[in-house]
Amino acid sequence: MSNSTTQNKAEPSDQPQQQKKPQVLEEDDEFEDFPVEDWPQEEAEQAAGSAANGGSEHLWEESWDDDDAAEDFSKQLKEELKKVEASH
Amino acid sequence: MSTLAAEFKSAYGAGSGDGLAAVFTPIATQNKPYRLQSFYDFTNAASLQKDLSFALFHGKSLKVPRAEQTAWVDIFAAYWEAVGEVLKCEQGRRDASLVAVFIAWKKVANALIRGYSSSSGIPAWTLPCLYTVGKYLRTFAIKADIEAAAQGTSGFGFQDDVAADIEKNANLEEAARIINRMFTLCLSDRAPIEESRKWGIYNTTNLIFKTYFKINSVGLTKNLLRAIKAQSADLPPLEAFPKSHIVTFEYYVGVIHFLDENYAEAEQHLATAWNMCYRGASRNKELILTYLIPCHLVTTHTLPSDQLLASFPRLEKLFRPLSNCIRKGDLVGFDKAMSAGEEEFVKRRIYLPLERGRDIALRNLFRKVFIAGGVEEPKEGQPPVRRTRIPVVEFAAALRIGTHATNRTRVDIDEVECLISNLIYKGLMKGYIARERGMVVLSKNNTAFPGTGV
Repeated sequence: MSNSTTQNKAEPSDQPQQQKKPQVLEEDDEFEDFPVEDWPQEEAEQAAGSAANGGSEHLWEESWDDDDAAEDFSKQLKEELKKVEASH
Repeated sequence: MSTLAAEFKSAYGAGSGDGLAAVFTPIATQNKPYRLQSFYDFTNAASLQKDLSFALFHGKSLKVPRAEQTAWVDIFAAYWEAVGEVLKCEQGRRDASLVAVFIAWKKVANALIRGYSSSSGIPAWTLPCLYTVGKYLRTFAIKADIEAAAQGTSGFGFQDDVAADIEKNANLEEAARIINRMFTLCLSDRAPIEESRKWGIYNTTNLIFKTYFKINSVGLTKNLLRAIKAQSADLPPLEAFPKSHIVTFEYYVGVIHFLDENYAEAEQHLATAWNMCYRGASRNKELILTYLIPCHLVTTHTLPSDQLLASFPRLEKLFRPLSNCIRKGDLVGFDKAMSAGEEEFVKRRIYLPLERGRDIALRNLFRKVFIAGGVEEPKEGQPPVRRTRIPVVEFAAALRIGTHATNRTRVDIDEVECLISNLIYKGLMKGYIARERGMVVLSKNNTAFPGTGV
């Protein structure tokens, strides 16, 4: 008896979880309707003059340099170089 | 009905297209939960036409030409039938059917198209009605397809898989044909531009784009783009349209180019969509970036900033592991991240461009060799110069790091030379290999690794 009551209790909490899953899977690349038809440029992602305000213009990584790791790499490179030279 | 008729009259009187479109929205709203029910209850099939024309146009409140009145009454009559089917579904009745809702809604769409096509028909300012009816046509078709699939009876009785696949979207494909007529209706309008249905061209195009993407017929979008291009001289410039139309259009055109592997062109359209996108529309921004980031990786060999990824958790998950490996030049890590994300990348159709990130990872690895090489003894009074002659074995050693080589792994010098010449060929590295001396001679003046500052 006690077994079946715990099962009954467990079920309602399980179900909503299972129902949530397909929703996540259903999600595709469909573009959503906007809440409004039109908006002023100030409400756009790149608002007029935002570059001056330092707005949304940090999309891309500007630098490839990683000074912290550079020294480690140098050491590692020397180690590996010995191995390459030993094998040739 | 009284409410719906009153809404129609006031919206029409005010010349509000959005207000009219709201009338034809087949769902109950929060503040008017019974709007559909009361509309349906106000008349019956027998006296439908008479009741409608009385409720809509009796009295002197609205001055609507006779022919147009008839058109509206026809549209409302179809709408009334469709609402009946919608209500059946909402009430969970046994004869309720989503396929029936779709069939009824097709009649609404057809009545509306007829209303616009006839010479003294509905004016163009009411176009939002077309958008709303088209949007729900698509929604109902998708639901009808799901219902038909669940019941396994769409009646055609095909056996093989291909037929089953076609059948799976039978209703949506039919919706696509009707929305296509809406598109033509807008594109071919010859009225002066201020009262032309040409203003509906991008909205209807977007609706078909969504539909073609859903039924996996992206190729068919080309026909629309060709038709728009052919008419472009007679169309208002794209910037003159509402931003929601433009952003959605640019997004889909970007993705279409993306799928054709025209990354440079794709990036242009996606960047326009991004810049103009409504700031609060985070899901749409996320979708734009899903394609813009791989484009940018291919065209400019750069990665999204930490700041950008941090504001989109889903993108962070999608791109971060790959990004980190590319930056570090960790080739093994890159391969692992590619296979770990493969399913998601394939599903989002971004696997191919991301795969090209391996070259960038390799470029970064070799760039580190260059940096580690340091500078040559500066000549008198000259600024220090980077060492530009680097033994091939140093690149071989770097490759051992990037591939996590064990002590027993042998790195083949020929293979290293091959990788280097490949990068040179692709413009990621500038210089040449002096084979007889076992040296790579890199370009001076901060051009050895173009675009990376050295």
